[in-house]
Amino acid sequence: MKIINLLIIIIILFNFNLSNAKDINSSSKITKNLRCLVCQGQSVHDSDSEFAISLKLVVEKKIDEGMSEKEIYEFLQIKYGDWILYDPELNQKTFILWFLPLLLFLIGGAIIFKNLKIKKN
Amino acid sequence: MASLIGSYSLFFGLGCSLLVVFFSLKDLKNLNNLDNKILSLTFLQFLLVVLSFFGLIISFVNSDFSNLTVFNHSHTTKPLFYKISGTWGNHEGSLLLWLLVLTLFIFLFLIRSKKEPKKYRILTILFQQIIIIGFFIFLIKTSNPFDYIYPVPKEGLGLNPILQDPALAFHPPILYLGYVGTSIIFSSVLAASVSNYITKEWAKHIKQWVIISWIFLSLGILLGSIWAYYELGWGGFWFWDPVENISLMPWLALTTLLHCILVLEKKSILTSWVIILSIATFTLSMSGTFLVRSGILNSVHTFANDPERGLFILIFLFTLIFLSLFVFFFFHKTDKKNTTSFFLLSKETSILVNNWFMMYFLAVVLIGTIYPIFLDVISSQKISVGPPFYHKLIIPFLIPFLLMMAIGPKLNWIKSELQNKFYLASFFVISLFLSFMIIRMLEISILINTVLFASAFYLFFITLRDFFIKGFKNLAQNIAHFGFSLLILSILFNNFLSTEIITNLKVGETYQSNKLTINFEKIEKKKMQNFEAIIGKFNIKNESDYIEILKPELRIYNQPNIVTSEADIKTNLFSDKFMTMNLVQNQEYFNIRYQKKPFMIWIWFSVLIISFGGLFSLLKKRYES
Repeated sequence: MKIINLLIIIIILFNFNLSNAKDINSSSKITKNLRCLVCQGQSVHDSDSEFAISLKLVVEKKIDEGMSEKEIYEFLQIKYGDWILYDPELNQKTFILWFLPLLLFLIGGAIIFKNLKIKKN
Repeated sequence: MASLIGSYSLFFGLGCSLLVVFFSLKDLKNLNNLDNKILSLTFLQFLLVVLSFFGLIISFVNSDFSNLTVFNHSHTTKPLFYKISGTWGNHEGSLLLWLLVLTLFIFLFLIRSKKEPKKYRILTILFQQIIIIGFFIFLIKTSNPFDYIYPVPKEGLGLNPILQDPALAFHPPILYLGYVGTSIIFSSVLAASVSNYITKEWAKHIKQWVIISWIFLSLGILLGSIWAYYELGWGGFWFWDPVENISLMPWLALTTLLHCILVLEKKSILTSWVIILSIATFTLSMSGTFLVRSGILNSVHTFANDPERGLFILIFLFTLIFLSLFVFFFFHKTDKKNTTSFFLLSKETSILVNNWFMMYFLAVVLIGTIYPIFLDVISSQKISVGPPFYHKLIIPFLIPFLLMMAIGPKLNWIKSELQNKFYLASFFVISLFLSFMIIRMLEISILINTVLFASAFYLFFITLRDFFIKGFKNLAQNIAHFGFSLLILSILFNNFLSTEIITNLKVGETYQSNKLTINFEKIEKKKMQNFEAIIGKFNIKNESDYIEILKPELRIYNQPNIVTSEADIKTNLFSDKFMTMNLVQNQEYFNIRYQKKPFMIWIWFSVLIISFGGLFSLLKKRYES
């Protein structure tokens, strides 16, 4: 186990050096997280509708203006509402969405380890 | 004429159901053999539904537009193949297909369960007939495939072109075999609870039904995914779209059940849990139908919806849920004597951990799919839940899950000790090192990726080793787990190594980047039976001057008048080259999307391996007996 722990630590250290790597495809990364509002369940990135094409241009323009990824999401969210974001942000509305599965996981684990007669060595 | 026969067959089929119910109830008190009338009537019912189904196929083949379904979904110029597959490419026909599989399965169940107790068999028939009657009424009342129109139109409205595709011709029937297979599990588990027959023998008998449904469900999802990959034109294979999720949920429940049945088969414990899972699996299949048909989902796959139908399925679904809860609470008695305890490190625990994680994945998918609808209804706020949500909640849990998949099967029942700890640990170190090197090479930065790669590699190496060491022991399981590791690895590599170029070109132009050039040589026009094709010819030259020719198409269908874009895909063992072209409005330019997608074929192939694991365990069982 010691070896594994050590290895994990080494990897973490190495990764810190890499974590500043530049985002080359930030535009496509952003548009993949946006819903094409006029399509049936496609992202802006994957769609060729006029809405999607114009939105891609908007995103690129905003990147050129120096907006960060988060600022772009906020900008679009104000303009088009939450419906456009595929990654729902954590707030009052989505609290249940994010935490209910995790809560269920904990409850499930509790049930398993409480109810079963596990013999101790 | 064919429509008329089909229509009458449906009514007679419903009549058969009532007779079967009548004779079954009468026969329930009788302790002797099963009344032969029940078997004959079940067979007759199946034949009548087959007749009805053929009636619909013939109406489609003959383009009989006096039939409303044919009028809405067919056209004289459609190729014969799609006239036939159009039969189940619409709501009415697909429900008839569903009914066909329902009646087929109960008949197969009857002839394959002769060794089982009689009371259990009759009760299974009764529960299955409740579902069948529900579907008959649903079909006849809200979505009769044999409604007629007068005056008879000269021409039909045609089938949605994106459904005119070989993968989509086979996808629904195979998926339905999986979905409907779960109905047998459902009826059987209720019957077994009522007749107090949830035992090892029952587990052994129902296991084959679980595996068969599981294989078909896996293959059905695979075909759907392949279709989405090449037909929707964006080169993805899974988008966490609500309709995709809906097919994934019963699969997750069924996979959990499959593992759980293994414990029941050996140890007669977890009976309540098996009952709950069986009920959940079928309920998820049914609510899947409800959600897709009712049109409350926003999805690429929604093609038929009507609120009245949704309401009917909802009522029907609740009836079935109440029925099953009633049976569960009033009839099921947990056998206290039989509970054997086991040690922490044992196969039982590892399967429970599997169940625990699978249920978590199911909860994520379920909540992610349902919650936006729920929020919309109570507060009319619309939110989208897409891939990032699922990735964030699933990937961290996938890591321990993969490690457990590698170690779990090595444990013994009741009490176990990890033998050969050394090689288990050294394999882990190797996997970690390997994935670390890969992550460095790919220049992706996140720690979680290293561990994820490592755990997938770990499962890969451990299962690979077991093929050589263990031979035939646990081979089916090992094949399936190996397939899963391959699936995760292919998805990861595919995800990180895919490259994409999107550009606008006109004929004769060349796109140049430092890695490759795309030359738009020419376009050709071709007239086909029910569409006109514009075929582009592209020469793609890579760094080593190797030229590849890709010919994506635009198809202009005559009826309905829709333009679709057909991707051209060149597949080899290592990567897919994927190209689509689209019209740019009012210009001579075409929008070109060129993608290189590594290990695409391995994703499909690994799902086949996983399913083959299931098939192998069936074959082995037959061979052994």
